[in-house]
Amino acid sequence: MRKEYFTLALGSLRKRRLRSWLTMLGVIIGIAAVISLIGIGEGLRNFVSGQFNVLDTNVLSISAEGTGGPPGAGVINPLTERQRQAISRVKGIDIAIGRIIEFGFSEFNDKTHDSYFASVPSGQARDAMYDIANYEIEKGRLLKDGDTTRIVVGADYADKDTFGKPVEVGSRLSIDGTAYTVTGILKRKGSFMIDNTIIMNEEQMQTQFSLVKDEYDVIAARVKDGEVPKAVKVDVEKVLRKERNVKLGEEDFSVQTAESALQNLNDVLFAVQLFISIIAAVSLVVGGIGIMNTMFTAVLERTQEIGIMKAIGARNSNIFILFAIESGLIGLVGGILGILIGSAMAYGLSFGASSWLNQDITASISPALILIALGFSFFLGTLAGIIPAFRAAHLHPVDALREGK
Amino acid sequence: MKLDLIKYSLGNITNRKLRSFLSILSILIGIMAIFAILSFGQGLRGYISSIAEEMGTNRIIIQARGFTPPGTSSVFFTKEEVDFVAKINGVNHATGLTFTYAELKYKDYKTKIEPVVSYAQDENKKMVEETFAFEIIQGRSLKKGDVDKIVIGYYYTQPDKVFSKPILIGDKIQLNGKTFEVIGYNNELGNPADDQQLFVTLDGMEYLTGIKDTYHFVILEAQPDMAPKLLAEKVQEKLRKRRGQKEGNEDFYAQTFEDAIATFTSIITGLNAVLFVIAFISVIVAAVNIMNTMYTAVLERTKEIGILKSIGARNSDIFFVFVFEAGMLGLLGGLVGVILGYLIATAGGNIAASAGFALLRPAFPWWLTFGCLAFSFLVGAASGFNPARHAAKQKPVDALRYE
Repeated sequence: MRKEYFTLALGSLRKRRLRSWLTMLGVIIGIAAVISLIGIGEGLRNFVSGQFNVLDTNVLSISAEGTGGPPGAGVINPLTERQRQAISRVKGIDIAIGRIIEFGFSEFNDKTHDSYFASVPSGQARDAMYDIANYEIEKGRLLKDGDTTRIVVGADYADKDTFGKPVEVGSRLSIDGTAYTVTGILKRKGSFMIDNTIIMNEEQMQTQFSLVKDEYDVIAARVKDGEVPKAVKVDVEKVLRKERNVKLGEEDFSVQTAESALQNLNDVLFAVQLFISIIAAVSLVVGGIGIMNTMFTAVLERTQEIGIMKAIGARNSNIFILFAIESGLIGLVGGILGILIGSAMAYGLSFGASSWLNQDITASISPALILIALGFSFFLGTLAGIIPAFRAAHLHPVDALREGK
Repeated sequence: MKLDLIKYSLGNITNRKLRSFLSILSILIGIMAIFAILSFGQGLRGYISSIAEEMGTNRIIIQARGFTPPGTSSVFFTKEEVDFVAKINGVNHATGLTFTYAELKYKDYKTKIEPVVSYAQDENKKMVEETFAFEIIQGRSLKKGDVDKIVIGYYYTQPDKVFSKPILIGDKIQLNGKTFEVIGYNNELGNPADDQQLFVTLDGMEYLTGIKDTYHFVILEAQPDMAPKLLAEKVQEKLRKRRGQKEGNEDFYAQTFEDAIATFTSIITGLNAVLFVIAFISVIVAAVNIMNTMYTAVLERTKEIGILKSIGARNSDIFFVFVFEAGMLGLLGGLVGVILGYLIATAGGNIAASAGFALLRPAFPWWLTFGCLAFSFLVGAASGFNPARHAAKQKPVDALRYE
C-alpha cells in the first residue's frame, strides 16, 4: 500500500515532466545557493580562526584591557612583573610568562615590511615559552640567553615576496637602524602570529623599543596537567583583582582560555555568515511557493481523477497522503541535486580562491549540514503541498466527477 | 487592437487568482530584498559623499603606516615637521592632531577607557572641525588658553550609552586622575567609535599625558590652484627626505581625503554587490516559477489559442498576449516588493539609528524605484518568452483538437 503512494506520485511527476523539472529547479537553485554559501563561509571561518588558534588548550592568556586593538594597544594600566609572579603562585598554574608584543618595521634588501615583534624570556621559562607559543625551528637555531643582536624570524621572511629576496640564516635585518643577525627561521604554521613574527629576547626588546622594564602586554600562563583551565581561570582572576586593586565586575583586565579568546571573533564571523545565509534562504521560500503553485495546478487538473479514486473507495487521508508525498518528492529530489551542485560550487570556488590568494582555504560541508538540507527540502516540499493536498482530499466526489468536463 | 490584447491578458491573470497570486508573491520577495539592500547601499554612499563635500576635496592627511589603531602607533610627527609641511609650496595650512586613550571616571560609575582628541585652537581650528564634521551643539567650543576644559562626544550626552545618566555641562570628570570641566557637547557623528570621543586643547593634552608637540596625524589644505593628488606626492617626498627615509620605506603616508574615501566607497560598493547577487538568486527562482505558471497557462488554454487563431489572431498577437501576461505578473510583484522593501528599509534604518549607527540611513532615489519596477517587468516578460513562443507556434487545427 505504502509503495503504491510512491509509484503513483512518481508517475504523476513523470507525466508532467517539464513542470516537475521547473518546479524542482527552483528548489535546486535555492539549496545549492545555501549549501555553497555556508560551505565557503565555514571554510573561511576555519581559515580565520586558524590564524589565531595557536595556543594550547591548557594555556590562559591574560591581558590588560585596552582599546580593542592588538594586545597591549592603548592599555592604561599594564600588567607588571609583580602580577606575573602572583599569577605563577596560583595553585594550578605551572608557569606564567610575560610577553611584550610590538608592531613595527623591519628592513632588508632595501625594503621595509610591517612586522609583528614578540619577546621571549630568559632562563627556565624560555623552553616553556617555545612550547606554549608553538615555535618550531626549520633552519638554524632558536634564541638562547644572552643573544642580543640576534633574532629568529617566521616562515614568511624566507619567502621571496617579503623583501624581494629570501631571508636566510645569517642574513642581517635592520630594525629602526639597529642591525640584527638571523639565527633561525621558524616552521610554517599557517598563522600570521607565527609566520610574520620576529622573535627577540625580552631584554633586547625593551632596549629596541625603549620600553619600561617589568611591564608586559600579555601573560601566558600554563595550567598544570590534570587541572581544569576554567576553574584555574577563576583563581587567577581573584589574584589579579587583588593585585590590581579592582572590584569584582570592574576588572580592567581579561583572562581568556584558548577557546574563549577565539569566541568573540567566531561570534562576529558567525553573525555575518548567518545574515548571508538568511538572504540566500529567501530563494528557498520562493522555491517553496513554486511547489505550492505546481501542486494547486495538479489538484485542479486531476479533479476528475480524484473523483474517480474517491468513487472506488479512496479515503480523504489516502488522497491527502498521495499529494503530500508527490510534493515532498519534488522537494527531496530538488534537495539532493541542490546539495550535489552546491557542494561542487563550494569546493570549486574555495579551490579557486586558495590558488588565487595563495592561502589554504578549504570549503567545509559537514554531514550535519547535508542532513539538515535534505530534511529541510523534504519538509519544505511537504509543507508547500499541505494546503493543495488538503483541498484535494476534501473535494466532494460527485462534484469532482462532474468537474473537468 | 493592442488594447484588446492587453485587456485579454489582464483578464487571464484575474481568472486564475490563486496561481497568479503565488507567482506574484514569489517575485515580490526577491524584489523586496533587492530594493532594501540597494537603498541601504545608496544611503551609505550618499552619507560618505556628503562628508566628502563637507570637508572639501583639497584636504590631505598624513598618518603612520601600518595597522595599529589611532594613538597607539610609535610613529609621530614633531611640531618642526608640521611647520615644515606648512611651508611646502602649494600648502595653505597644516596642523597636527594628537590622540590618546585615557581612563575616564565620572561620579561613581565604573571607570571606562575612552579616546581623547586634541588639536590647536588657532586659525587652523576651522579646518580640522570641517574635516571631521565636529560641531558644538550646546555649551561653548574650546579656545586658546583652556587647559582643564573638555568637550564631550554625543554619546556622553545620552542616557544609557556610556553611563546610565548623561554628563551635564559644568560637571567635573576625571581623566587618568586629572580633573576636567565639561564645557560643551559635540554633535552626533553617526557611529559609536566617533561619538565616544573627548576633546581637549593641546595644553589639555599636555596636562593629561605630558605629551607636547608630538602629533599622530597632520592635516593640510592645498592651495586652490594646486592639484591635491600631486601635492600629496610632493609632501610625501619632502617629508621622507627630511626624515631620512628611502623611497618605499617610509613609516608614514600622505593621502588625499578623496583617495581615502574612494577606498571606503569601493569596499561598500563591493559588499553591496555581493548582497545583491545573493538576493538575485531568489529572483531567478521566481523567474522559473513564472515560466512554470506560463507553461501551465499555455497548456490549459491550448483550445482557446486555437479559437483565437481561427478567428484571425496572428502568431505575434498570441506571443504578445502571453509575454505581456508574464510581464504583468512580474510588474505587480515588483510594485508590492518595492512598497514592502521601502517599509523594511525605513524600519531597519530607524533601528540602526537608535543603536547609534545613524550613518546607516537608507536612501530612495527615484531611479531605484523605477529600476526595480522595470527590472521585475523584464524578468517576468523574459520568463514568459519561451512559453509564449510555444503558444504562438501551435497549429490552429491541432490546438482546436486538443483535449
